[in-house]
Amino acid sequence: MTQSAPPITQQPATASPRQPGWLIAVIIWQAIIAIGAIALGIGMVTGAVFDFRGVGLVVVTVLAALTAAAAIYAIPYLIAHTNRGRSAATLLEYTLLVLTAIAALQVMGLFRGIDAVAANFRDSWYWALIIIVGWVIYSQAERFKSAESTIKLVGRWTMVAGAAILAIALGIIPGTVEFLRRLIEPDALLLAAIAAVCGVAFWLLRRHDAAEVFETTVDEAETVDGYLFVSPNVFGFLAFFGFPLVFSLFVSFTDWDGLTAITWVGAENYIKIFSIQFVSLDVGESASQALSAGYFQAFRFGDVVMGARDPAFWIGFRNILFFGFVAIPLATFPALFLAALLNSKIPGMKVFRALYFIPYVAGLLGVLLIWKQLYNASIGFINYGILRFFDLINLIPGLNLTAPQPEWLSDPKFAMWSIIIFFAWFMTGYNAVLFVAGMQGIPGSLYEAADIDGASWWKKFRNITVPLLRPTTFFVVATTTILGLQVFTEPFILMGPQLPPSGPDNSTLTPVVQLYQEGFQRFNQGYASALAWVLFIFIFGVTLIYFWRQRRAEAEGMG
Amino acid sequence: MTRRLLVVLFVFALVVAACSSDDSTDEETTTTAAAAAGEETTTTEAMAEETTTTSGGDEAAGAVTIRWRTRPDNDQEAGVYASISDDLQGQLTDVTLTYEAGGTETEGYQQALLTQLAAGEAPDVFWIPGADIAEFASKGVILDLAPYAAADPDFSVDDFYPGPMAQLTTDPATGQPGDVLWGLPRDVSTFGLYLNLDLINEAGAPDPRELAEAGTWDWAAFTDVATAVSDLGAEVSGYGQSSWWGPVGWWLYSAGGGFFNDAVDACGLDTPESIAGLTAFRDFYATGAGLTYGEDPEPVFKAGNVGMFQNGRWATPGIREVDFNWDVVKLPEGPGGPSNWQFWGAYVVNAGTENPQAAWDLVAALTSAEVQAQVSELGANIPSRVSQDALDAFLTFSPPENNQAFLDGLSEGNPVTEAPLWNGDWPSYRDAMNTAVNAVVTGDQTIEDYQANICTELNQYFDG
Repeated sequence: MTQSAPPITQQPATASPRQPGWLIAVIIWQAIIAIGAIALGIGMVTGAVFDFRGVGLVVVTVLAALTAAAAIYAIPYLIAHTNRGRSAATLLEYTLLVLTAIAALQVMGLFRGIDAVAANFRDSWYWALIIIVGWVIYSQAERFKSAESTIKLVGRWTMVAGAAILAIALGIIPGTVEFLRRLIEPDALLLAAIAAVCGVAFWLLRRHDAAEVFETTVDEAETVDGYLFVSPNVFGFLAFFGFPLVFSLFVSFTDWDGLTAITWVGAENYIKIFSIQFVSLDVGESASQALSAGYFQAFRFGDVVMGARDPAFWIGFRNILFFGFVAIPLATFPALFLAALLNSKIPGMKVFRALYFIPYVAGLLGVLLIWKQLYNASIGFINYGILRFFDLINLIPGLNLTAPQPEWLSDPKFAMWSIIIFFAWFMTGYNAVLFVAGMQGIPGSLYEAADIDGASWWKKFRNITVPLLRPTTFFVVATTTILGLQVFTEPFILMGPQLPPSGPDNSTLTPVVQLYQEGFQRFNQGYASALAWVLFIFIFGVTLIYFWRQRRAEAEGMG
Repeated sequence: MTRRLLVVLFVFALVVAACSSDDSTDEETTTTAAAAAGEETTTTEAMAEETTTTSGGDEAAGAVTIRWRTRPDNDQEAGVYASISDDLQGQLTDVTLTYEAGGTETEGYQQALLTQLAAGEAPDVFWIPGADIAEFASKGVILDLAPYAAADPDFSVDDFYPGPMAQLTTDPATGQPGDVLWGLPRDVSTFGLYLNLDLINEAGAPDPRELAEAGTWDWAAFTDVATAVSDLGAEVSGYGQSSWWGPVGWWLYSAGGGFFNDAVDACGLDTPESIAGLTAFRDFYATGAGLTYGEDPEPVFKAGNVGMFQNGRWATPGIREVDFNWDVVKLPEGPGGPSNWQFWGAYVVNAGTENPQAAWDLVAALTSAEVQAQVSELGANIPSRVSQDALDAFLTFSPPENNQAFLDGLSEGNPVTEAPLWNGDWPSYRDAMNTAVNAVVTGDQTIEDYQANICTELNQYFDG
């Protein structure tokens, strides 16, 4: 933010400002927050309050410390009427308001009742039709000039009546009674009271009076507004991504099974992942005899065996590399050519664009179940189609070819290919739409100039479309790579429940499949987290390479 | 302003409506796993104290809420369990039951349960597969119900099949029977052979049910029937089985071998009997009479292209949809005599429940003969109670006409109980075994190599 914007008010600040009553209240509340947070932190560390242990204790103590620090930080600035204090206190009060309100609702057991709301809505949704009727009446009132106001009134009250009936059907009356009963429980009441006071303090700090006292500039006000606008996303990110990310990093250094106490094991999980051994086999010697205890065969190259403490990790990475090298080009290049076709001005092309996009918007699980049937070696349509195709070819005199009938899901040679084909099919339409969007941003004048020069379609495609699509291509390849390297649902559905998601002979074992098996089938959450972080670093590295290449291309004027 | 007020009011209505649900009361089960582990060795005295507290508390505070969950195999079964919960609500006094549909095997039942356990939010009573009992018991996640069972005059261990009960009364510290009870079996199941009678008749093969009746239903007869059916055409197979450990295990146990040694503390896959079973298994597939190993046989059978399909009772509801004549026959005898599996799962109690007595009452009610009859009526399960009434009721639930085949699997089949490894890592053992067996069947590994190496590799998955 720049410092040039004028303050909202032009009143000069005084050397020793007089404190308005509301500001004194806010300052006192900030002090209470600071003291309360410090006391809470000490109480939790000493075990005097709450029964947090391990990670929970660390997280809550850090939160308490941050709260105390923020409150203490804001107080002197509030006293000096410096806007920094107003901004800090506003954001702190807002954060505490949200957190304590959520905590109060959790203590009241409200989130567990969400299913009940859905069930009630399912049983009583039809009352919402009254609201729709009311809206229709209201919106059509202008057609009847003479009675417009009366019809609008009828429409409005119909909507109100519909909302009231729907609320009653959803259980607002017993719900309110129960809500109030739970609200007066000590824990809930305390949290609700803190939320209420934070709400009042937040409101006091947001008023125009406060802006005058603190001489808030437009830029400063907009900065806080910006933070508040993005706060839902920030809270969501922290709760559902940031915290789990950090927590999983911590867990990766433990042997946590998800059920019992966490034990710190240091880098043992990572050491296990990367422990490998190469041995050369003597005549008559087996791999298990040659490898050290705790090592199992991962790969064999003639007489040389690569052993690993976790061969599944290496097999999974080999599989995902193969998948990536084949599936990503298959999901990208056809999409580019398809986009070139879809970008033409042939009548009905919009319909085709929609058709090609359908696989991506269709439910992945449902689509996979259909493909599972298609892939069935005995009764699937793919093998049936191959059979009929060869019947057709064999009509040519002298030909008597035998139709191949691949066992798509049960043969290790084909299992990964079945996933690659599905993935390419699934992504092609989506990527094509992205390419079409990119192509429509290319100036038509370039093509016109090329036409004047007599360039062929291929030359225009190669020398205009492809180079100018580089940013889109970068995005398509990067997102497809990130999705592809995390492939899980495809093997999980296509292989199971007949086979484990790792497929026949581990041919569809991928890193995410392995971490699922470790975390949820073998109760090794710690090891699964370590696998997740190794995969994350790998994907991050690949993406960085893409970024680096893109920036270099841009610097060379190609992007 | 009015519009904004209406929106606020409506949101408030949604919020308070969430409070009107029964499952969101303040009776939370939030004990941490560590705390649960500390409390798992509940003594009789502690039980008596808890029981008194619970009963007294119940009377003083009104009804307690018990959340429970099971893993249905399909939507129909989920509906039956919801209906059972409603029925039991009327029978259990001072208890409010909340049935949480848990999703099926492929819908993340296990993931959801583990996540809730880690968060201390798991239901009071839940179902787990028999092979998971050791893991849950040794980690202190489930409650030892022995004190509650001892105080229940209506409970007797002998009411249930001994195989599952032996596992449910195993002390995880020793791996031997102990004075513990980890839960009660919800149901049991065995393998049978689902027959496409139209295909078998068309092939001119003898009716396997008649062969079984005559006592000549063995591997040779089975191979003859399968070969005759597969000779009908390239698109027809004589036999289909899934490629998980259950069907493979049947070949090994039928030959007199098995997965483990007798003490179940070491690999038993390289014994001559086990190798004979695996050899027969490989040789059978080499004849081409079987559907490609690893291919899902169920849709192919339902499409009418497989003569004999090996699966458990749980497949029955789906098979009932086919439009050809079908029935079931017991599995053929191998050189080691009749063999089968006894699959099962159990209702267990969350170690962190605040109402252990009420939870036990629910477990007992869910495994009563009446409730088991209700579930069995769908056709997916065999009652876990050995009472003749329960079995007679099961026999009435047809098709298949030959329901007795499944019961024969239990009574005559020398069934091997699905069991956890109390002193080993079963998931790792299982996966490594499957990979090795698959390599043998597909010809990627010789039997000799397999025999030489399999136990060296798999014995590493045993403790110590």
